[in-house]
Amino acid sequence: MTTHSGPPAAGVGVIHDIGYRHYQGPRLGRAAIIRALGWHSLRSAFGIGRGAKAKIIPVITFAIMCLPAVVNAIGMAQGGKQIVYYDTYVFQLRVFVMIIFVAAQAPELVSRDLRSHVLPLYFSRPLRRLDYPLAKLGAFILACLILLEIPLLLLYLGMISQAHGGGAIWDQTRALIPGLLVGLAWAVLLASLGLALASLSGRRAYATGSIAICFFLSWALAALLRGVTQTGGPGVAGAGARLSGLVSPFTVLDGLRQWLGGTSPTPLPPPGDLGPLYGVMFVLLLAAAAGGLAVRYRKAGVLQ
Amino acid sequence: MTTPVPLESGPPQAGPPPGGTGPGPGFVAAVIETSALTQRYPGAVTALDQLSVRVGPGITGLVGANGAGKSTLIKILLGLLTPTSGRVAVLGLDCARDGERIRARCGYMPEHDCLPPDVTATEFVTHLGRMSGLPPTAAKERAAESLRHVGLYEERYRQIGTYSTGMKQRVKLAQALVGDPQLLLLDEPTIGLDPAGRAAMLDLVSRIGTEFGISILVSSHLLGEIEQICDHLVVIDSGRLLRSDSMTSFTQVSQVLLIEVDEGTAELEAELAARGLRPRPQERALLVQIVSAETCDLVRDAVADLGLPLNRLEQRRRRVEELFRDDADPSAAEKEGAA
Repeated sequence: MTTHSGPPAAGVGVIHDIGYRHYQGPRLGRAAIIRALGWHSLRSAFGIGRGAKAKIIPVITFAIMCLPAVVNAIGMAQGGKQIVYYDTYVFQLRVFVMIIFVAAQAPELVSRDLRSHVLPLYFSRPLRRLDYPLAKLGAFILACLILLEIPLLLLYLGMISQAHGGGAIWDQTRALIPGLLVGLAWAVLLASLGLALASLSGRRAYATGSIAICFFLSWALAALLRGVTQTGGPGVAGAGARLSGLVSPFTVLDGLRQWLGGTSPTPLPPPGDLGPLYGVMFVLLLAAAAGGLAVRYRKAGVLQ
Repeated sequence: MTTPVPLESGPPQAGPPPGGTGPGPGFVAAVIETSALTQRYPGAVTALDQLSVRVGPGITGLVGANGAGKSTLIKILLGLLTPTSGRVAVLGLDCARDGERIRARCGYMPEHDCLPPDVTATEFVTHLGRMSGLPPTAAKERAAESLRHVGLYEERYRQIGTYSTGMKQRVKLAQALVGDPQLLLLDEPTIGLDPAGRAAMLDLVSRIGTEFGISILVSSHLLGEIEQICDHLVVIDSGRLLRSDSMTSFTQVSQVLLIEVDEGTAELEAELAARGLRPRPQERALLVQIVSAETCDLVRDAVADLGLPLNRLEQRRRRVEELFRDDADPSAAEKEGAA
């Protein structure tokens, strides 16, 4: 082969001739690339493949989320009653944990790439423009599902370990399924909203702040409206109180649950005949978040 | 691969284009072909204006002042931008229809910084290898190999944030190379580098083009810089094609004789003028237009008669920059001249 001498002034620039080999192996298609990007993003949602610092929040939020299931299992083992339900889990705790998780981890998936201007490198590969947000969204929904559903499964295991007879296990299983579906609705909506908000800023702190503020303020606003409009005796909430939940994604999710037949009590009064509004609001929020994300990435790649 | 070509690290690549880059023009399939390509941005900004150009294999320089449309052209070639009008084909594929297939065969090195600071070069290039469609193991191998080819060894396990500008440019090149492309599109690869770093980067690009058998389109606003490594040059200005030609035709031997004497330049100038030539001083030398076969003899006799110490007498090779100073927009040439 030829020998090659780098420019002497370059110092580190000396390149040894070791020959170039062309790649002869298989090349995967677009679908496989999207899956690879999704897997990469899912790992980064839990700080895997990053430093120890990146794992702190995912680990802590996950541990806190599992706590009620463990407490319930211990209580059940000591002959107590079921205190945690599949469809609500522990509603307020769940809200706070999800605010923290989404606010901290959604920017991890999208803001970093915006910040370091790495998007042109993705878009100069066989991906299409919307494949990138699609993979990110899929990964983050899955990440939220892990956070929401694994505690439910733990709760279920705790329950059936104390259940006697096939009938009791069957009852638990039938109660679990709606709970899992509610978790799915939470994951889909919160992940979409979180990513859409995070994709607006390349600065991590801003992205985290905007998600936390939007989620927390709307949640506080819903509580405030509910308090102001709560008139009448217990059990008979006025229309104002029943509508108050429409301002926050968390109460929209709870209103949706109650409309679809969830019975476990939460601070939100049952929406009654206003239930369909919660269904509509859920769809609208979801469409706005997904649409916003799509619009953002149609443009973001051309910008640097 | 193709026959190995001994590579000189010296600057000018005179003579015929190196082997492996195909025979003369007209025989080889075009790597890039555009016809009447126009790109307008909102606000009546025309980035490309009826650009028709054909680029063959080998290393092609894309030269133009800042804002001439170089980056826009590269983005259109990758299918990242849809042109306002006109047609583009890359590697025989239509950019409008086959963007994905083109991108699967191209490597792109953007002009701007595009590296996350908090991952290692190995992780980053491996990930982008996967994004190019390589299976996991192949992506790892190719990442290690590309990083080695660009001259990063043990450093590749360090976080990119700790790298020097030169090393970052190498990582950018490695990620373009990881998918084993047929065509590399390099947007200002030497930007921000010191002279030694620029020389090393150009050397690397030249090696990739000649020894790896990968066609390269390399853009620069510094003509003097990339003319050293290119087989072919495309010059654009304000989105229009100024000239597209092989490097050899750019640097043909000109009909100008350069005479340099250690002393007595003024005397010689007068003497040559007296003998019917029209000498032009240039720095310490004199330039004389060769009008007939006797011109050289006249000059020789003049020097000998005056008894001056002759230092240099050569028929000058045209430098590319001068061409543009002659027949192009002077403002563009000025900016190009710097290197």
